[in-house]
Amino acid sequence: MTLDWSVVWQHREALVAATGTTFLLTIATMVIAVPCGVGVAVLRLYGIAPVRSLATGYVELFRNLPLILVVYWAFYVVPILTGVGLSPLATGLAALALNVTAYNAETFRAGINSIRKGQVEAAMALGMSRAQALRRVVLPQALRRITPVLASTWVSLFKDTSLVSVIAVTELAYVAMQVRAQTFRVLEMLTAMALIYWLLGYPQAKLVDWIQRRYAVNE
Amino acid sequence: MDFDFSVITGHWHFLGYGVLVTLALSVASGITSLASGFVVALGRLYGPRWLKPGIVLYIDSMRAIPVLVVLVWTFFALPIVAGVTLPPFWAALVGLTVHLAAYAAEIVRAGIESVRPGQTRAALALGMSRGEILHRIVLPQAIVRMLPAFGSLLSVTIKDTAIASVIAVPELMRQSETVAGQSFQPIEVYTFAMLVYFVILFPVTRGVDRVYRRVAHLGRS
Repeated sequence: MTLDWSVVWQHREALVAATGTTFLLTIATMVIAVPCGVGVAVLRLYGIAPVRSLATGYVELFRNLPLILVVYWAFYVVPILTGVGLSPLATGLAALALNVTAYNAETFRAGINSIRKGQVEAAMALGMSRAQALRRVVLPQALRRITPVLASTWVSLFKDTSLVSVIAVTELAYVAMQVRAQTFRVLEMLTAMALIYWLLGYPQAKLVDWIQRRYAVNE
Repeated sequence: MDFDFSVITGHWHFLGYGVLVTLALSVASGITSLASGFVVALGRLYGPRWLKPGIVLYIDSMRAIPVLVVLVWTFFALPIVAGVTLPPFWAALVGLTVHLAAYAAEIVRAGIESVRPGQTRAALALGMSRGEILHRIVLPQAIVRMLPAFGSLLSVTIKDTAIASVIAVPELMRQSETVAGQSFQPIEVYTFAMLVYFVILFPVTRGVDRVYRRVAHLGRS
């Protein structure tokens, strides 16, 4: 078995660009999925009955589907349903955002519900409106509990971006596997891919541990 | 727009086989990762000192690497290193187990650590051995507390088996891709696949909650 690791160095530019796309996807998805998650959670908690069940249905649907299937589905179905051909990157982003929004909505809902009812009642007894009580009393505490969960969602998302490689988004997994197919340096490229993910993901996983310790709630 | 779901009935056997493979891979990797997770966690908690840094590194690495990468590496690169080629199903089983056992190990560790150390000390004072304490005192309480986390791990496992389609395991995702490609009816086929996955996964997530509410009192101390 002869190994030729120079193949990794030769394709460094493509790999660096692909890593950039991976980060871009992660950041863009979170930028979309956090506000949308808040929106869905609020609709689910305070909306009128039909809206509430719609929001619940959405969350339950996407939490119970494999992401890779959602990616394929978006790739084939969205252009046909809407008549607009999106780029693979935009399609991948849409699939990731749909998925993560559902998880975030559940996180926000759980965070808001974790604040005892008595606090809202007390705030309202003091003359605050429901919205004020939510903004001033519930959310500041809920956010503190939500932060660690969002952090681990971030790490999962960072890893899950690899799944959009199946629709040819030029992120890290796709580019590494393309180079593998072109050069036949299978072991080298796949190990390099794993190593790059490890180098980027390990510090993030450790950071999440730190955030979880930092924000631990003791009641 | 016309939908023609006869493509599903036309490929009933092919897709049904995919569902069976998905279920088989889910159950198999669920069992193996649970068993390995227990071994890894017990090794981390009670094993020799030199073993612990290795286990911690393994667990944190699996939290950092996507399962797709683990699966692809197991299927394509492992044969070059080890000289044995695994058939797709077995490669997927190995890859999923290696990945999910790390998560299972963290669940087991958290469960065991949630049992207050005073109980272990009291049992030691009563003359029980370490093994007896684990078996009689710690695990019966810890396992009940681990149940909800194992439930969500099971649903993660089922969802992750869909990723095994990239290494050509003939499970539902892969079979759907094939049928969608041959019939040029991706909407019908993928929508059907979504329905099947939802029907499999929803009772799991709901059932786990329900079972846990029944048994939660057993884990209180």
